[in-house]
Amino acid sequence: MAGAMDWAALSVSLRLAALTCLILLPLGIWLGRALAYARFRGKGLCGALVALPLVLPPTVLGFYLLLSFSRDAPIGAFWSELTGSGLNFTFSGILLASLIANIPFAVQPIQRAFESVPRNLREAAWCSGLGPWQTLWRIELPLVWPGVLSAFALTFAHTLGEFGVILMVGGSIDGETRTLAIAIYDRMQAFDEQGAALMSAVLLAVSFITLGIVYGLAGRRRWVSD
Amino acid sequence: MGALRWIAAFAFSVMFTATASAKPPVVAAASDLQFALSEAADAFTQQTGEQVRLNFGSSGNFRRQIAQGAPFELYLSADEDYVFALNEEGYTRDEGVLYAVGRLVWLQPKGAGTLPRQEAPLAAVEAAIAAQASGERQRIALANPEHAPYGVAAQQTLEHAGLWHATTPLQVLGENVSQAAQFALSNDTRGGLVAYSLALAPALAEKSDYVLIPESWHAPLNQRMVLTQNAGETATAFYHWLQSEKGRAILQDYGFSVPGFSVPE
Amino acid sequence: MTDLKVCLAQDGPIPLAADFTCRRGELLALVGPSGSGKTTLLRSIAGLYQPAEGHIVCGETSWFDGKSKYSLSPQKRRVGIVFQDYALFPHLTALENIALPLRHLPKPTQRDRAEQWLSSVRLEGLGQRYPHALSGGQRQRVALARALAREPEVLLLDEPFSAVDQVTRRRLQRELALLRQQIAIPIVLVTHDLDEATALADQICVLHGGESLQQDTPDRLFRQPATPAVARLLDRHNLFNANVVTVDGQRYLQWGRFSLEVTEGLARFAVGEAVTWYLPPSDIVLHRRDRPSRGERENPIPAMVSEVVALGGITLVTLRVAHGDMLRFDIATHAARRNHLAPGAMVNVSLLAAGIHIMPGTHDLARSD
Repeated sequence: MAGAMDWAALSVSLRLAALTCLILLPLGIWLGRALAYARFRGKGLCGALVALPLVLPPTVLGFYLLLSFSRDAPIGAFWSELTGSGLNFTFSGILLASLIANIPFAVQPIQRAFESVPRNLREAAWCSGLGPWQTLWRIELPLVWPGVLSAFALTFAHTLGEFGVILMVGGSIDGETRTLAIAIYDRMQAFDEQGAALMSAVLLAVSFITLGIVYGLAGRRRWVSD
Repeated sequence: MGALRWIAAFAFSVMFTATASAKPPVVAAASDLQFALSEAADAFTQQTGEQVRLNFGSSGNFRRQIAQGAPFELYLSADEDYVFALNEEGYTRDEGVLYAVGRLVWLQPKGAGTLPRQEAPLAAVEAAIAAQASGERQRIALANPEHAPYGVAAQQTLEHAGLWHATTPLQVLGENVSQAAQFALSNDTRGGLVAYSLALAPALAEKSDYVLIPESWHAPLNQRMVLTQNAGETATAFYHWLQSEKGRAILQDYGFSVPGFSVPE
Repeated sequence: MTDLKVCLAQDGPIPLAADFTCRRGELLALVGPSGSGKTTLLRSIAGLYQPAEGHIVCGETSWFDGKSKYSLSPQKRRVGIVFQDYALFPHLTALENIALPLRHLPKPTQRDRAEQWLSSVRLEGLGQRYPHALSGGQRQRVALARALAREPEVLLLDEPFSAVDQVTRRRLQRELALLRQQIAIPIVLVTHDLDEATALADQICVLHGGESLQQDTPDRLFRQPATPAVARLLDRHNLFNANVVTVDGQRYLQWGRFSLEVTEGLARFAVGEAVTWYLPPSDIVLHRRDRPSRGERENPIPAMVSEVVALGGITLVTLRVAHGDMLRFDIATHAARRNHLAPGAMVNVSLLAAGIHIMPGTHDLARSD
């Protein structure tokens, strides 16, 4: 045990990060586009809500999540009804927490990217006979692709590094809610510096490789936007 | 969109690994058991082939998490009051059993100043307080008394010696007693008041010195374990195994006084 | 005969009260100062903007009807549009940009057709370039080819020459004039450049504050603006107030102390009515010192030279008549020299009766310029 790699924790971390990205990116594209294009009352409020997890201490987020995930609270009760298990101290729970904590990282880069697409490019697409979905797929997405990649990188890396919220909501259960970041903390607590060092190196490498791949992809454009 | 496809494939492959196998029960244990219980669990696994997953932390935190629905099946608290409280709220099977009585020690890094003598175990604390006058700040580590039983005991000990208020500016609080021990062994502290069971662990023994604190200086660290309402067969077996001859022997090796079940308290 | 008929109205946020028609094969220029609603009208035709009221009909098809809240989507209108900044898709090559409206065709046909359009705007061999690697003029051509590849029923051009230098602009304008001969659809050009409109358009529609004030051929528009406001928007000078009078049963225009003969138009007004009249600069004839000029006997007026500005071969001359009104015209610089035109000199001019255009009402003569 001492000095060893906690593969289960790595698996939890990767699963958590991958699922968070998989669920959050389509949502980020939808929400980021809506916030970039739409004009509606309360848009500012919406933007503030999206950015909120960015400024909140993880403990505040964790506190409210713990409260709302409890079986007495509507969200926890609903989930319990649906799946038969609670949200606190489960993988589903830390996934939901991670989704909420990462909203700004997924939405904001995509929103900025959509904002930088000139309106008349979309209009030119419509006037070329492209429907809304074709316009999204063939014109808008290729143009906001760097923003999407950046959102992916930020969300993925941030989920790998998330600690406070996950610890509060998940409670460090081996193979379920103990992520690599928490395992490192636990190893330190157990005076296993060798194990902590090994896992820190792995986390560092995974994060760096992910970011490297993403920024490599983002830099591979043949055209330059102007 | 090649990248998107790769990401999706990667995500799915990661998603469905390491899921859906029957998981061993999770045990929540006070962090003074960090080494003792790890050894006990290994022995249990060797003997029975069954596995348990160990979660170490502060007893107070676990007490809260169990009330919030954490899926722990066995709870080993360093403070029996937490067990009684959970029992009253209906989260446990019964009142559980007293499995050990803990001891507090003064722990300091090996070779860092003189080790206090048995008769005056808090001499180093007094020295640290005195050193403040010359502008030197020697920190004292202890577990957070808000939710860690060993922190409570440390506070009572310092109060008993009339040093609590004088040490307030010097205190560095660990989230649990294990972290407090870690702080105590860092070069930035003079030492700390931590669990005897940790001081005896090989990982610490080689780099630290300790002196026992008299039991009468603080309320007894009565450690009680209990099966929760979701306890399954394996957890129950481990619960009984810990009370067996072998289980008690391991706890005793780590400095716990273990109540003999034939011997009344 | 595929005509484009546009009639739109709304009070706000952008006020509109426009009514114009563009025939098949005709180029209609919408001119007006910035904020006159030109671009909004163009966007309305494309279906990118929906005004409150009115209708847009292309040939037999209704594109927009305010009454029944009917609006055909931009995708279904078959409009080719060239945006002011061209709006080329930066992530697609020139050829891919042009092929985008051709997606309903089989792939090989798409490519062939796009190549054809590329060569019709004389960009052979540049199909694989991305927009950022093309010059301003080349981008404009790609945008035009993309608009035409749509096989549109209407071609819309939003200030298409404003983003290029003057030499390129001349060349592109010439190419557009040539291209027009090959496509028989209504073309609507938005511009604030009157010279460009005059040079390219068959019809000009003058807009102000979203309102269409007058639609006519450039020649008629410049000689006979419907109102003083139109004349102003067309940057016309020589607008004056006068009264209709009769002398011996003959009607004249009383301008200061001069009674002016007018060939046409006086009959429409009552005797004593205050009107505004306009004279194109070409209908002001300077009496030469050495020999008599054409039409010298028509409305001879003495005036003092107030300003002489030589701009290359043309000299702009401003004259002041006795009651203070200023007459402006231009003559060849060599003629100005020969006649010793200099500030302070007295000259005689004739105001040709056939050129005098009378408009109802008076207007404030104080010009801001």
